[in-house]
Amino acid sequence: MRTGVYPFTAIVGQEDMKLALILNVINPGLGGVLIKGEKGTAKSTAVRAIADLLPAMDAVRDCPFRCDPAEAHHLCERCAERVSAQEPLPTQSVKMKVIELPVSATEDRVVGTLDIEHAIQFGEKKFEPGILAQANRNILYVDEINLLDDHVVDVLLDAAAMGVNTVEREGVSYSHPARFVLVGTMNPEEGDIRPQLLDRFGLSVTVTGEHAADRRVEVIKRRLAYEEDSDVFAETYKTEQTELGQSILRARKLLPKVQVDDALLMLVANLSIQLDVDGHRADITVIKAALTLAAFAGREQILPEDVKKAARLALPHRMRRRPFEEGVLDWSAVEAMFADPA
Amino acid sequence: MGRRLLFPFAAVVGQADVKEALLIALVNPKTGGLLVAGEKGSAKSVLVRALAQVDPAKKIVELPLNATEDQVFGAIDLEQAMTCGRKVFSPGLLAHAHEQVLYVDEINLLRREVLTGILEAVDRGVNAVEREGISHRHEVRLTLIGTMNPEEGTLTPAILDRFGMFVAVQREMDVKVRADILRRVLAYEQDAVGFVAQYHDETEQLVQRCREAHQRLGRIEIDPAMMQLAAQYCTQANSAGHRAELYLLEVARTIAALAEREYLLPADMERAAYFVLPHRMRQEDAPPPPPPEAPSEQPEDQEPPQDQDSAQDPPPPPPPTDDQQAADPPPDKPDEADEPPPPNNGEGQERTADIDRNFSGAKLQVTLPQDRQARQGSGKRSLTRTDLKQGRYVRAILPPGTLTDLAFDATLRAAAPYQSSRPKGRCAIAIHKADLRQKVREKRIGNIFLFVVDASGSMGARERMKMVKGAIFTMLQDVYQKRDQVGLIAFRRKTAEVLLPVTRSVDLAQKCLATLPTGGKTPLAEGLDSALMLLRNLRKKDKNSRPILVLITDGRANSSDGGDPIAAALSAAEKIGRTGIPSVVIDTESDFISLAVARQVARSMGSTYYQLQELSEAAVVHIVQNALSS
Repeated sequence: MRTGVYPFTAIVGQEDMKLALILNVINPGLGGVLIKGEKGTAKSTAVRAIADLLPAMDAVRDCPFRCDPAEAHHLCERCAERVSAQEPLPTQSVKMKVIELPVSATEDRVVGTLDIEHAIQFGEKKFEPGILAQANRNILYVDEINLLDDHVVDVLLDAAAMGVNTVEREGVSYSHPARFVLVGTMNPEEGDIRPQLLDRFGLSVTVTGEHAADRRVEVIKRRLAYEEDSDVFAETYKTEQTELGQSILRARKLLPKVQVDDALLMLVANLSIQLDVDGHRADITVIKAALTLAAFAGREQILPEDVKKAARLALPHRMRRRPFEEGVLDWSAVEAMFADPA
Repeated sequence: MGRRLLFPFAAVVGQADVKEALLIALVNPKTGGLLVAGEKGSAKSVLVRALAQVDPAKKIVELPLNATEDQVFGAIDLEQAMTCGRKVFSPGLLAHAHEQVLYVDEINLLRREVLTGILEAVDRGVNAVEREGISHRHEVRLTLIGTMNPEEGTLTPAILDRFGMFVAVQREMDVKVRADILRRVLAYEQDAVGFVAQYHDETEQLVQRCREAHQRLGRIEIDPAMMQLAAQYCTQANSAGHRAELYLLEVARTIAALAEREYLLPADMERAAYFVLPHRMRQEDAPPPPPPEAPSEQPEDQEPPQDQDSAQDPPPPPPPTDDQQAADPPPDKPDEADEPPPPNNGEGQERTADIDRNFSGAKLQVTLPQDRQARQGSGKRSLTRTDLKQGRYVRAILPPGTLTDLAFDATLRAAAPYQSSRPKGRCAIAIHKADLRQKVREKRIGNIFLFVVDASGSMGARERMKMVKGAIFTMLQDVYQKRDQVGLIAFRRKTAEVLLPVTRSVDLAQKCLATLPTGGKTPLAEGLDSALMLLRNLRKKDKNSRPILVLITDGRANSSDGGDPIAAALSAAEKIGRTGIPSVVIDTESDFISLAVARQVARSMGSTYYQLQELSEAAVVHIVQNALSS
């Protein structure tokens, strides 16, 4: 355990946020999480902590995108060439990292651009990877995503949806894998986020500060203990941390085996129709989140509770929301459907 | 990359229209490409990308939103220039897409210059590049396919017209179908290889069908009766130009070919019309056309007819369907004759009107010219050059004075051909001052809309406020799409109140609007004064801000601190007029005895003037602000 990172299991409360992050690292295909809430609610602490919690993963050693040697369909050009030339891929284990996308980032920094040094020295065009390249297989963390420049959001969206970043600019033409867990935070009082981008987030949670006095005291206590001696503090949570890390790994292995029965599929489809959400991404995310929840619970079968819990994380930000209508999830309607599945 | 196993075309559930249109576009490139519009998450891009499986000979060349002009159209080959000192053309995406499919996802977000450049080249069949000392022409024959989510912005009719076909996608509403979609997506994600294999045979059949259809195309004759029919369709749809007829015939021919026939049926034509006409239909009683330099946008008019089965007779395209418009007839314009003159006595009461959400399509569109002043900010409405090192790098120019933002690629390209002849010293490359190029960056800047709303008692009469709220609501919707900012000032009784300081949050604006009560006298002058104050502060805070004032009043000024309320209002209006801030006045006066104060106010402010009634009649009103360019 490196020093300096607050242990994930030591975070008080914020259960929804923690769960959403755990689900995303179990199943990166979920599409990330949008965390809405005020400042100082442990958002970035939690994101850093979850990355730290995970055991190292295999990656091609000299690959700028840390390709996964086990995933033949998601290799970058160079790694793919090496595989088809029957060359072995040298591997190393790397920790999952949190890559931050600053709000002031320019488009060329985000997608990558021409490597100027290389162009001068060798008279060749070469691609200089940007933030999206670093983000491959990592967590891409965008604080205050609602303040991000519009066209940066557009390219981010594009890459997040495709899992690939395609660059056609300044003389370079390149594409590389960009599969990342997108974690965005926003303070809703500071402006909207476009519905198109909202929909690309798999899950969303709203965080608020703890209100009960004793919980607040607990937050302060732990923080002070951590600041006093982070090593000792980390030691206290070591068992919990290892356990959680293990159960995440177990869930990853179990995930492909989890089954869902037809009745629940119909229920999810019906839910989306009743709630009038756009497109099909909502259904797909609810089911995927439910599968992941079942895997996390160590089950091979989805239960209605999984779907219900998944709906709470996957639907609120997808409620059809014309510019000035509030997108409110009528939870009682959801409850009713579970009580009486049509 | 590129060896990823795509979701099979044949495995996509439903979406019959999009699938058919895609096959038509693929089989016959003369059908003029396809635009697919639909809400997010409706398998638009999945289908387009899967098209590559249907014709193994074709590539789907994707144009990413971040593409710069040199990459799209081609530029000087840097490597050749550097190493051999030769100027050689390095082909761009257009060249790669020759005889292939060019796919632009989120085409409505693509920069306008790039999009029009592509359409131009496709239209003429030639890409002519004149840049960086390179002069090159090459043939371009490709099938352009675009997908878009109309919520994110619209395309102008001129651009829409370039697409041969248009299809709107909708999500499936049947529970069983939706569950089936889920099942397939899960199966694909669990085992892509196995899933794709399952659809191998179906895909092969599709490939075969398209190949045969393509061969059959040339054998299908079009007789004069069909041409007649095509012309009739187009006249009925009121479509501009003659492109539509040609596309119509080509699409019909392809439909017949896909149906394994060598002759055309009227039904083919009908089906073709369903794809070719919806985005070209013009309303017969269109409002006066906007000045030619300002392309207009008609977001709601592009949806195709929804009920294709009922179209048995030749004139198939029903009027543009907007759900709301179809369901509710537009509110009648206030019928003055039947009602007693407005009770001016309602001023003591206070009430809150609903928002008329069905306000019949008064789409206020403010088209702003591109300006030359460098500004900073973020938004979608106005294109502006930016001097921050932010924004899209559009192209490179010779630096206009001191170089601040080096366009390295362009500089390098400019210097490259001379490298073999220049003494280099210790540097790897010799760059002379004349080679330096500056980046031109562009950003879209949102405008600030300041709504100044009359909330006096006279406005509350006869649902007037409801209509006003409806009008503002439609404007706000547009504001939201374009990422503008809004502020709201209301005046009533004795004072004006800033209900909403300028904000990005359109939600807040709507909440304020919904709860805005009416009642009391009309302190028009106070309203204008506080607007002026707010505008001045805005300018002070950010000299780049671009406010637009929208005044909504019936002009019945009857309250003022001192003196004649109307004179006070006019003098306040003049002060605003002198700031040069563009403004719009919407006159809600609809009484027998018209005082026309609002019109005078508009004149003093130099505003564009509209009557609320006009707005409800016209489908689209374009408010063109040329004042900004001065």
